[in-house]
Amino acid sequence: MHLTGLDLLFWAAGLGAHLVLLCVLLIRRRFRVFPIFTTFILANVVRTLALYLVEVYGNKASYFYTYWSLAILDTVLQLSVVYEMYSLTFRPLGIWARDLRGSFVWLVAGSIVVAIGLTWLATPHARLWMQVVVIKGSFFSSACMSELFVGMIALSVKAGLPWKTHVARISQGLGVYSIIDVLIEAGHSYFGVNRNTQMYTTLSHFRMTAYLCCVAFWIVMLSKDAKGTRKLPESLRGQLILLQGNVDLQLERVRARRQS
Amino acid sequence: MIDRADIFIGAVAIFVGSLIAIAVYYYRRARNSTQNDWDSLLSRLMRVDRSSIAEVALDVIDESGQQRNDQGCAILEPPEIWKLLGGMEGVEALESNSRVLIDLAFYLQQRYPEALVVAEQLRLSAREIEWQVGRLRGAAETGKLAGAFPMYGQRAAAAYYLMTQRLLDLYEQGDPPRLAALQKAL
Repeated sequence: MHLTGLDLLFWAAGLGAHLVLLCVLLIRRRFRVFPIFTTFILANVVRTLALYLVEVYGNKASYFYTYWSLAILDTVLQLSVVYEMYSLTFRPLGIWARDLRGSFVWLVAGSIVVAIGLTWLATPHARLWMQVVVIKGSFFSSACMSELFVGMIALSVKAGLPWKTHVARISQGLGVYSIIDVLIEAGHSYFGVNRNTQMYTTLSHFRMTAYLCCVAFWIVMLSKDAKGTRKLPESLRGQLILLQGNVDLQLERVRARRQS
Repeated sequence: MIDRADIFIGAVAIFVGSLIAIAVYYYRRARNSTQNDWDSLLSRLMRVDRSSIAEVALDVIDESGQQRNDQGCAILEPPEIWKLLGGMEGVEALESNSRVLIDLAFYLQQRYPEALVVAEQLRLSAREIEWQVGRLRGAAETGKLAGAFPMYGQRAAAAYYLMTQRLLDLYEQGDPPRLAALQKAL
């Protein structure tokens, strides 16, 4: 595979940015709150190094299989990051908010149906069936991700559940990148890779630029501390525990009344 | 002639446009609610007759929120409940106020994040009220409002009453100077 100077620059910039972000996550102890996100960033570092080694020492076939195996892993980890962000937002007391469980099912099902519909409409021009699968698969993945992040914003606001500072920043970065990625993957599908791959390569460079901006945003935001909070006085803490006991009891009574 | 690729691009444009519009709308809503100050929150409360709500609620629950089982409970007739709550408009005002009450609890939670547990219970109560009002709207559309109102309306009133009591308790402990303003607004 022939790599241009620009390709190598993106490769090096991606590796460097991920290494810096990984350092931020480790030094600022963010990995304790975001273990899946940290794994996702670590996997990107490993992926870049692995692909470089296969490119230098391997052959075309081994590069192909390594690249797509790691791309699938990357997609799985991105979805896991979505889960982590949902978990940190919609489990304020350690369990999933019971008023939102139905909405989650509708959101996930709706996102998949819409993404399948759009992917079905795509007719990428390609020489190999594998290229069609890759282009359609990437589009489907980006469409789902963007829907899930926008759905997360809508659900949290509708339900009145606030985002924690760093959760908001990670979600904003990945959400904006996903929406840009939808446009780029749609461009990949529209222009295809039939005769001239120049447009495909240019769009890929745009995607990498958008992603690097996203990583830079995470580096800056995750290196900052969240807004300071005030310590709850001990007397108030005790009163709140008592009050909470009463609240639980009252809600049970109201529910019993409803069912009677 | 329009081919499938053009339809695809059009569909993607609508899809992305919709996503951005939804994200911007909710992002602005979230931003507004975090920038609310105390006075602007109180100004959003709609006027409701608190004594009437208490009368409807205390017909089925006692002051502590426990269900009443004595002989004098559940004596209000459907027309009385309808009149006391101000009909459908009155219940919708409760729904609107329940959203404001969540923001008030959120306000306190911002200052004392450890009050999260109570704030979450308040939020769940507000969602219950929304659910009850949703059932009432459904009944109104199918022409069964008169039959459904005493059941759902009284439950919404009971949930609202308990929620306001809880909020007042919370502010009494956490922010006494502002308790008087809240009591007046509720």
